[in-house]
Amino acid sequence: MIVPFSHVLVLAGMLFVLGIVCTVARRNLIMIVLGVEIMLNAASIAFVGAASRWHNLEGQAFVLFVLAIAATEVSVGLAIIVYAFRRTGSFDPSAYNRLK
Amino acid sequence: MTTGLTHSATATAALLATLSPFVAFLVILIVTRSRQQLSATVSLGAVGLSFVCAVLLLAGYWGMEGAVRLTVPWLSAGAYAIPFGFLLDPLSLLMLVIVTTISLLVQVYSLGYMAGDSGFSRYYAFMSLFVFSMTNLTLAPTLLQLYVFWELVGLSSYLLIGFWYEKFSATQAGKKAFVMTRAGDVAFFLGMLVPLLHLGNVGIVDMNSLHPATSISPGMLTLSAVLIFGGIVGKSAQFPLMTWLPDAMEGPTPVSALLHSATMVAAGVYLFARLFPYFSLSPTAMTLFLFIGTLSMLLASTMAMVDRDIKKVWAYSTISQLGFMIMALASGGPGGYFSGVYHLTTHAGFKALLFLCSGVFIHHFQTNDMFELSEKQCRHLKVPTVAIVLAAAALSGLPPLSGYFSKEAILKQLTVLPNPIWLTAALLGVFLTAYYSFRVVFVLCFPRKPEADSEEQTVKGDTAHGGHGEASYGLMVWPLVILAGITLLLGFGEHALKVLLVGHQDARGSLEGWAVDWLPVAALGLAISGAGVAWVEFGHKKAKQVGFVEEEPRLAALFRERWYLDHLYRILVERGIDKGISTLFYRNDNLVIDGSIDGMGKGTVEGGRFVARLHLGMIQHRLVVTLAVLAFLSLYFFF
Repeated sequence: MIVPFSHVLVLAGMLFVLGIVCTVARRNLIMIVLGVEIMLNAASIAFVGAASRWHNLEGQAFVLFVLAIAATEVSVGLAIIVYAFRRTGSFDPSAYNRLK
Repeated sequence: MTTGLTHSATATAALLATLSPFVAFLVILIVTRSRQQLSATVSLGAVGLSFVCAVLLLAGYWGMEGAVRLTVPWLSAGAYAIPFGFLLDPLSLLMLVIVTTISLLVQVYSLGYMAGDSGFSRYYAFMSLFVFSMTNLTLAPTLLQLYVFWELVGLSSYLLIGFWYEKFSATQAGKKAFVMTRAGDVAFFLGMLVPLLHLGNVGIVDMNSLHPATSISPGMLTLSAVLIFGGIVGKSAQFPLMTWLPDAMEGPTPVSALLHSATMVAAGVYLFARLFPYFSLSPTAMTLFLFIGTLSMLLASTMAMVDRDIKKVWAYSTISQLGFMIMALASGGPGGYFSGVYHLTTHAGFKALLFLCSGVFIHHFQTNDMFELSEKQCRHLKVPTVAIVLAAAALSGLPPLSGYFSKEAILKQLTVLPNPIWLTAALLGVFLTAYYSFRVVFVLCFPRKPEADSEEQTVKGDTAHGGHGEASYGLMVWPLVILAGITLLLGFGEHALKVLLVGHQDARGSLEGWAVDWLPVAALGLAISGAGVAWVEFGHKKAKQVGFVEEEPRLAALFRERWYLDHLYRILVERGIDKGISTLFYRNDNLVIDGSIDGMGKGTVEGGRFVARLHLGMIQHRLVVTLAVLAFLSLYFFF
C-alpha cells in the first residue's frame, strides 16, 4: 500500500472536522447540508482506507451504501430547503423559529 | 415562721391578691369590653379583692420572724433551678399594701375622671394588667420572676401613657418611656447573670444571705450591683435616664398618679430595697448609687422650679424624691434601709394625692398650665385645694405630715456618712423642694387676674372627657379625702413600721451622727424658708409671680430644657446609633442580604434565559451539543 493507513485516517479526520465546522458555523442551510455530505465522505474515505489495509471488501460495500444514503439525503434535504425558503424567504436556520 | 395564717390560707390569699387583676384583665378584654360599667365593676372588684388579701396578709404576718417562701418549681436546667411563687416578708407585704391601696383609690377616682371616654373599658383592662404585674413584681421570690413582671410593668405603663393614642405626643411619650426604661433593663438582665453563674440561682433570699467572702469576687459583685442598678435608674427615672418621666405625663392624670408617683417608678426603689443586703456587699457601688441619687435629686429639683405645667412639676418632684430614697438606701445600714422604704411609703401617699388633686383641676378646667388654672379660679374647688396644700406641705417636709417624718429619717441617716457633702446636698434639696411645691400652691391659690368670665370658659372647653357632674366630682373627691387622711396620719406610724421592717434591736438603736443636734432645726428652717421665698415671689399680694431663677434667663433656659439632657440624647442617638450602627446595618442589608437574595433571583433569571436559548429550535445548537456529548463520550470510552 503506497499511502500509509495513518495518513488516510488523518485525512478522514480533518475532513470530518471541516464538515462539523461547516455544519455548525455556517448560517446557510445549503452549506449545512454540504457539511453533512463532507462528513459522510470523510467516513467513506476511512472505510476505503480500512478495506485496503485489511484486504476486506466489506468496507467498500459500506461506501456504496453511504453514497446511496448521501444521495437520498441530499434530495430530501434540498426539497425541505426549497420548501422552507418558500415559507420564510431565507436560508438562515435562525429564521425557522416558529415553534418557539 | 408562720404566725397567724396557715400555709394554705396564705397561698390562697397571695394567689387571689396577685391573680385576680389578671383575670379581670382577660374578662374585660374578652367579654365585657363593650359594656363600660361592667368592665369598671370587674376591675374594681378584682383590685378590691387584691387589697383585702394584701391587708389580711400584712396583718397575718405582722411581727413575723423570717421570710416565707411559697414556691413551685418552674425552670430547671442542669445545675440551675428557678422556682416560681411568692416571697412574703415585711418589705414585700408593705409594698403590696401600698400598691393595692393606691391602685384601688386611683381606680375609684378614674370612675369619675375617665367617665365618658371612649376607651373606658380598655383603660380598666390596662389598669388591671398593671396591678397584676405590679403585685407579682412585689411578691416575686426570684430575680428572674421579678424581671418578668418588671417588663410587664413597663409594657402596661407604655399602654397607659400612650392611652390617648390619637394624640401624637402621647404615643411619642409612651415610646420614649418604653425605650428608655428598656435601656436600663438590658443592664439589669446582664447584672442578673452574675449571681446566676456564681450561685446557680437568682433567688432573692439566696442573694441577700450571701456571705461577703464567698465565690463572687468583689469586682464581679460591684459589676453586678452596678448593672442591676441600671435597671433601677431606668425604672425610677434617675440620672441619666430621667427625661422620660416628665414626658410620660401625657397619659391620663390618674395614670400619672398610679404609675409615675407611687408604684411603677417606686418599683426601682423597691428593687433596691429588695436587694439591699446584696448591694451593701459592695461599698464602691453604694457610693456610686449615692452619687446618682444626689445628682438626680438636685437636677430634678431645679427643673421643677421653672416648669409651668402642674403635672410636670410633680413629675420632677417625683424624680427628686426618688433620688432622696436612693440616697437613703445607698447610705447603708438598717437606718438607711428603713428611711428609704419609709420615705417610699409616705411618698406613695402624698404624691398620689398631689396628682389626683391636680387631676381634679385638670379635668375641671381642661388645662395643665398652673397659671391658667389659677386664673380660672381653681381655688373654688375646696376639697382638692385643701388636699393639695396638705400634700405639698408633706412633700416639703413640714410637720406634722407624713413627709416630715420620713425626710427627717433620711437626713438623720445621712449624718452617718463621714463626708458632709451628701448632707449638704440633701439640705439644699429640702429647700428646693419646699420652694417649688409652695410655688405651685401659691400660684394656684392667689390668682393675679380678677375672676372675670371664668365660668364660661370652663363650660366651653369641656369636650374631651364628656360630661362631668356632681357625681363624678364626688367619686373623685373621696379618694382625695382618704389619701389626705393617710398623709396626715402615716407619720405617726414611724416606730411601728421600723419595728416591722428592721426588727426590735435595730429599731431601738439611735444613730451616731455628727450633726444630730441641730439637724431637725436646720431642716425645718430650710423647708420653711423655701416656702417663705415662694411666698415672697408668688404668694404676696404685690409679688410679680416670677421666680428668682427666671430672672436669670440663661439659668431658666437651662432648667427648662432639662439641663439639655434631651439634646444630648438626640445627639448621641443621631451620631452613635443613626450614623454609626444604623448605617452599618443599612449597608449590610443593602449589599449582603439584598445582594445575595437578588443574586439568587438574577441567577435564576439568567439561567432561564440561557436554557431558553437552547429551545429556540436552532438546529446548529443542537448539533453542537450532540457533538460535544459524543466527543466527551468517546473520550470516556476510548481513553
